[in-house]
Amino acid sequence: MAEVKMKTKKKLSKAALREERWGRAFIAPPFIGFCLFMAFPIVFAFVASLSSWNGINGITDNFVGFRNYIQLFTDVKFWKVMGNTIIYMIGIPIGMILALVIAIGMNRKIKGIKILRTIYYIPVVSSLVAVSIVWMWVYNYDYGLLNSAIKAISGTHGPNWLGDEFWVKVAMIIFMVWKGLGTSIILYLSGLQTIPRDYYEAAKIDGANGLQLFRNITMPLVSPVTFYLLIMGLIGGFQVFVEIMVMVPKGGTNYSAATIVFYLYDKAFSNRQMGYGSAMAFLLCIIIFIVTAINFKCQDKWVKTID
Amino acid sequence: MRLKKAVAMGLGLTVAATTVLAGCGSSKDSSTTADGKANLSVFIFANDHESEIYNKMFEEYKEAHSDTINDIDVQITTQDEYSTTLTGMMTAGDLPDIFYVGPESVKEFVDNGYIENLQPYLDKAGITTEGLSAQEALNSYRYDGSQTGSGDIYALPKDASVFAYAYNKDMFDEAGIPYPDPENPYTYDEFVEVCKQFTKDTDGDGEIDQWGCGTADTFMMYQYIWSNGASFLSDDHKTVTIDTPEFKEAVQKYVDLTLTHKVTPTVEQDTSLGVYQRWLAGQEAFYACGTWDVAAFEDKETFPFNWDLCGYPTLSTGVSQTWLGTVGFCVSANSENKEIATDLVSYLSTDEEGQKELSGITTGESIQLPNITSLTEGEFLSSIESGDLAFPSNVDVFFNYLGGTDKYAGKFMETTYTPNSEWMDLFFEGFANVKNGSTTVDDYIAQVQPQMQAALDSAWADAE
Repeated sequence: MAEVKMKTKKKLSKAALREERWGRAFIAPPFIGFCLFMAFPIVFAFVASLSSWNGINGITDNFVGFRNYIQLFTDVKFWKVMGNTIIYMIGIPIGMILALVIAIGMNRKIKGIKILRTIYYIPVVSSLVAVSIVWMWVYNYDYGLLNSAIKAISGTHGPNWLGDEFWVKVAMIIFMVWKGLGTSIILYLSGLQTIPRDYYEAAKIDGANGLQLFRNITMPLVSPVTFYLLIMGLIGGFQVFVEIMVMVPKGGTNYSAATIVFYLYDKAFSNRQMGYGSAMAFLLCIIIFIVTAINFKCQDKWVKTID
Repeated sequence: MRLKKAVAMGLGLTVAATTVLAGCGSSKDSSTTADGKANLSVFIFANDHESEIYNKMFEEYKEAHSDTINDIDVQITTQDEYSTTLTGMMTAGDLPDIFYVGPESVKEFVDNGYIENLQPYLDKAGITTEGLSAQEALNSYRYDGSQTGSGDIYALPKDASVFAYAYNKDMFDEAGIPYPDPENPYTYDEFVEVCKQFTKDTDGDGEIDQWGCGTADTFMMYQYIWSNGASFLSDDHKTVTIDTPEFKEAVQKYVDLTLTHKVTPTVEQDTSLGVYQRWLAGQEAFYACGTWDVAAFEDKETFPFNWDLCGYPTLSTGVSQTWLGTVGFCVSANSENKEIATDLVSYLSTDEEGQKELSGITTGESIQLPNITSLTEGEFLSSIESGDLAFPSNVDVFFNYLGGTDKYAGKFMETTYTPNSEWMDLFFEGFANVKNGSTTVDDYIAQVQPQMQAALDSAWADAE
């Protein structure tokens, strides 16, 4: 076998060799970039996660083995932020349903449709920090747009959106749905436009009603989009940070708004427990990997393509 | 072929650039030029007003020492950003010659070899620290190898700050209530009675829109706790002592201001407009004033009212208490120019002209008390009396807290003595629930005390 390999290698002409060198040159930048900015930090974070490094003392002198990981499992606050992060994910299906409904609405020839599509997409291209600040004001207890509207309509004072342990979660979910809607709509819209018209026509001839068309043609045929949105939503959901940092900078009353990444940041940078923070980051990475793997494994059961 | 070469060159350059950029980050020069002159680097935090003064001071120092100094590279950031950036510099082994250190970090920075013992350099240059007014602040930068407070000096104080109390004179005039006596701070009960007279609905819409005071938990609860003879920690800073009767009573009285006496904005009202903004808008008769706030409160565009300083109300000890702050200039242990850097540090801490500008004697805007005793007692007080320096007339309140009297006392926050402040953050995290009445002080303390103790234990375990 080895002999054969040697032979093939020898057989490479000068031109092929040059070609190969060029190939390597072309993949070098992304490869080196990956090593520097991805692989090295990942390995570094793993090593750090095995120490009580605080950014100032030495990593190797403060090696604690898997203590940080063991501590994580008994850390009440970690499970609390994990819970908060998962609760926020309620926004994912809500966002998908809303986006699909709106996309179906927009998938028609109506006047001003381009303007409407642009409006829905504006939140996506806006700076997350900027829109978070805007929404912080929308949610203001006394002077906010939302509570002013609630007062005008019902006559009662609205909830303390960002200060109450329950309402802060509702507030964040509403914000996240709003922020992500544009992307989902555009993707669903492109998904809807790939469905051949004759599928619907054939079904109609067979006597299918609107609901049946939706359930048996639209839903299955946009399922690849749904799958993509689900995966991206879950990955993004585990990484929510900026909006919390801006809107509830202390993590909310009793840490009710804090997410995993927020807690990780708090630990690593406010309390300088870099080792513990790294352990959390690593665990988060593993969780995301498992969730994504499960998703891919299950996709055969519900994701359909036109062919 | 030529195109290919160009592409290859481009790729090569990209790779080189990425590698170089990743490697260097921001490099802070601590070096010496060919002709033996020093390049110094400085990293501090400051607001705009301070930055201006410090930049000027650095320029002046550089000119006066042009025979030994080639350049001073000054990086100024905000207070929020400072600690994270500094940690990054330490991790990268890329520290500037001079930077800020708080008393809480002295031990850790020295033990890990980041900051230099200034004592030999001060002794050699014959620089004395006796004339410094902030002796307690200075002592917080002493370290004897096992604990801070005594031993050699590792940093010179930039300042010593005081978080005093202030009242809106115009509101007192309007209500016809006599001004608080700076010699005799109110007792808690007196304070509540005065506050009640201010708390009302001024525009007749049925909602309270003016209050006696505003309370910001993370800054203004210590005053009640300490004045009641309680503290967050035991003397060795290892045990969380918030379950003592004195502590609970103090917290209860603090919460009562909002819940029972209703003389502060509610938790909800506080979220819509912060207590600081309400003070600036003239909605609260009392609010806190740090030494750094004076210039802002004297600026009529920021705060269009007359005001003065007073003491926080007293509880069972009869002594009005508040917290003090300080930050110091230190020299990196890896600096190549330690001697010159130490001289610059002493200039920043004690130079008379610089201190005159910072304390407002020459600029008229004060952001700190002077560091030099003779200056404080002389020109500083006289320029306040003459009106050249806009400053509240009860300036003694600051000095009383700083120096301590039988009615006033000041001390550093207890987090100054612990490896991190996570244990303290835990106390405030759910405190809004006590202040809005959804849980009681006793229940809250019972719930949060073990968590705080665990966090403190773990912080100490990591540090030792």
